[in-house]
Amino acid sequence: MEEKKTSSQSGGALPFILGLLAALAVGWWMFPKALFSESHQPIRFSHKVHAEQGMACDDCHKMRDDGSYAGLPNNEKCGECHSDVVGSDPAEKKFVEEYIQKSKEVPWIIYQNQPDNVYFTHSAHQAQECTECHPKMTDNDSPPVARINKITGYTERTLKMWQCERCHAENGVSNACYVCHK
Amino acid sequence: MGLDRRAFVQLAVGGVVGTLFTPIPWKLADDAAIWSQNWPWIAKVTKGEIAFKNAISKFCPSGCAVSVRTVEGAPTLVQGSKDNPLSQGGVCPACAAGAQLLYSPARVKGPMKKTQAGFEPITWDEALTTLSAKLSAVKGKDGKVAMVSGDQTGTTSEVFSAFVAALGSQDFYLMPSEGQVAGKAWSIMGGTGKVGFDLKNADFVLLVGADAFESWGPMVRNKKTFGSKRPVGQPNQATYVYAGPVRNRTAAVCDQYVPVPADSLTAFALGLAAQLVQAGKSIDTADFADFKAMLGNFSADKVEKLSGVKAAVLADLAKKLASAKAPLVIAGSPFGQGEGAATFIAGAAVNLLLGQVNKPGGMKVFADFAPVVKGAATAKKLTEASFADYLSKVEKGKASPEVLLVYEANPAYGLPQAEAMSKVMEKIPFVVSFSTFLDETAQKAQLILPNPHPLERLDDLATPYGYSRAAYLVSLPVIKPVADAKPTPDLILGLAAKLGLDLGFSTYQDVLKAKTEAVGASWGDVSKGKLFASDVTKDVSGLNLATAVLAKAAIPNRDPAYPLALAPLAQLNVGTSALATAPQALVTIRDTELLGNDMFVQVCAETAKANGLSQGAKVKLTSSQGECVARVNVSETVMPGTVAAPLGFGRTAWDKFTRGKGDNLSKVLALSPEPGTNVSVWSDTRVKIAKI
Repeated sequence: MEEKKTSSQSGGALPFILGLLAALAVGWWMFPKALFSESHQPIRFSHKVHAEQGMACDDCHKMRDDGSYAGLPNNEKCGECHSDVVGSDPAEKKFVEEYIQKSKEVPWIIYQNQPDNVYFTHSAHQAQECTECHPKMTDNDSPPVARINKITGYTERTLKMWQCERCHAENGVSNACYVCHK
Repeated sequence: MGLDRRAFVQLAVGGVVGTLFTPIPWKLADDAAIWSQNWPWIAKVTKGEIAFKNAISKFCPSGCAVSVRTVEGAPTLVQGSKDNPLSQGGVCPACAAGAQLLYSPARVKGPMKKTQAGFEPITWDEALTTLSAKLSAVKGKDGKVAMVSGDQTGTTSEVFSAFVAALGSQDFYLMPSEGQVAGKAWSIMGGTGKVGFDLKNADFVLLVGADAFESWGPMVRNKKTFGSKRPVGQPNQATYVYAGPVRNRTAAVCDQYVPVPADSLTAFALGLAAQLVQAGKSIDTADFADFKAMLGNFSADKVEKLSGVKAAVLADLAKKLASAKAPLVIAGSPFGQGEGAATFIAGAAVNLLLGQVNKPGGMKVFADFAPVVKGAATAKKLTEASFADYLSKVEKGKASPEVLLVYEANPAYGLPQAEAMSKVMEKIPFVVSFSTFLDETAQKAQLILPNPHPLERLDDLATPYGYSRAAYLVSLPVIKPVADAKPTPDLILGLAAKLGLDLGFSTYQDVLKAKTEAVGASWGDVSKGKLFASDVTKDVSGLNLATAVLAKAAIPNRDPAYPLALAPLAQLNVGTSALATAPQALVTIRDTELLGNDMFVQVCAETAKANGLSQGAKVKLTSSQGECVARVNVSETVMPGTVAAPLGFGRTAWDKFTRGKGDNLSKVLALSPEPGTNVSVWSDTRVKIAKI
């Protein structure tokens, strides 16, 4: 009589479970590592040191007169204190010598650059705490590693549309297309 | 346990099921969507500080006072300067493209010399050494160097004319313009100073040929004035009438359009003058009696025979002019160039009859700003020198320049009889182009020394023709040159010093500061975009009405071999002779103006029928001097017996967006001397049209 092969004879559900687990491992552990590259800021900037000097966030990250957000400070702003090396941190020395003295702007990596098709204004979000969207930086002695999506070119921290929509919905703000997409 | 087929399938299914519970498919789909929004050819939005800087843009003949929006210092938008009376927040289509044109593929990237293999990039040192040697060889030799400039309003003309004069030549020219002919005409009438027109205070404006909203005078200001005099939902404060061969963009918005052939505009204006004299108006000039007698040839009936304008229409217009509180007549070319002096004189005579000179809403006369550069040509001299005439002399061997310097002008493309003029230029051994773009003239040059784009250079603007006040404005660079370009006036001042010529200045900034002082303006104000304007008018006693000129020039001379009048259309969205169509303006050109590579000429149904033409037919326009090809669009905007055709197409240089589209109408424009003045005229060009 012909022998009938059963599942149990082929290892039962084991191959299926192995395949499942392997896929889960690849998808949740290897894929994120492969999808993002890790970049470090050109200068090890310490927010903590600056916060300890009594500086507030908006001493450097300020709104312009027209209400637009200036983002990161430029050499002119940093040079107000660091026109020359004032401390003993080698990172500061590197900043002064390689950027301030050469009149070259630091190519800082922006953690939360939004796509061009989104019109995001900090001005309209001033009622929110910075840390609702951004990590708290005042205790940060070294800039976080920037994980950049190899496909999109945006960082891991760039807000997704669902995050914007959820916050708008929770705060009773319109989610009409034109609110963000001009 | 071996991995048999069944186990393998189970493993694969498990893998697939497992994958569905990981971010892989969902994240990849999302990221792929975002990736597709950022193709490398999609322009990136510059992010950074937004600022607005006032500047002058000279892509249009009169120049626009603009406000440039910059992001992190880079211009992103050119709009009209709201506080400047010349623009009042408006901008012309040519200047509106200024930010994009900074990065035009047609820009000359750096100095180049022509070799047998084409243009070869060279260093500025080599370029200037070559030019210096050429100029040194002709220094002191009369008539061996000539220069032509397309800058109608800048003090560059003083620097260049003084430089050419110091080299021993008097051959400095401006490209043909409406203001040049008006200056010449005013001079014939015995007038001095500059003439402007007070549209703002006029309550009845008759435009005789002058395409005031497209090619005549400060067209942006003219449009703004028109808009302000006709507030929405309120009664009109001014009436506008256009008389000319085509119901063009200006005529389309006027209250009345009177079809008048281009060669009969003078007769039409004299017909109005005859009506006004008949009604008892007069002018206090020594030759008024002669003028009055001459007007006998321009009675309403006679003008009807010459121009086709019904006697009743002429009489009605004269009555409306006479009864208006502040009537104004502006006579000029329907396409911004090529009109004779007689049309201006006839228009001025009507304004004089109406008593509308140096009165609110009338013709204004004010003093020219005095030159500040030692040896510079006077404004009067510049109006008398015609570059087209000069090239005719070169053709006939009456002038033999060895060096021709061309500043921001494109004579090889834009002069009448363009093909012939271009060939004449080939006779000149060494042509130097100071052009921002690789235009048709630059392509013919032996040396190209790129001038910065208007937003990259120090520049000034002194009273654009037609503006009713003596005005002055300075523009500081908005951005450093994107290309390896150097400001031509500074180069010329440097060359002058090298050649031992004393022009009195070493930098163009010093020239402009001196000019500002001479004008009576404040550098701090004018360099920040605040227009200096003076309302001081000039005495106009001692004028004459140039009766002999009018009697000869007003009668059309129609060669029966060329049965149709040509009405060129100057439209700023198509471009100018010195600027090919800007990339974003291409979409504003209708399919009845340009389709594929074919441009269209416009004729009315009556003309089409008489010439056996139908919509879309391919035709050849032939004048006594040249020909061009086009397709036919039947349009009732054109009066019978006239064929309207666009200027600005048929580029052979520039970039892939404009090259080879349509044909160059300037090839067809035929020069003829105006009887009585000898001014070269081409607005009365006649053509024949044939199907091909």
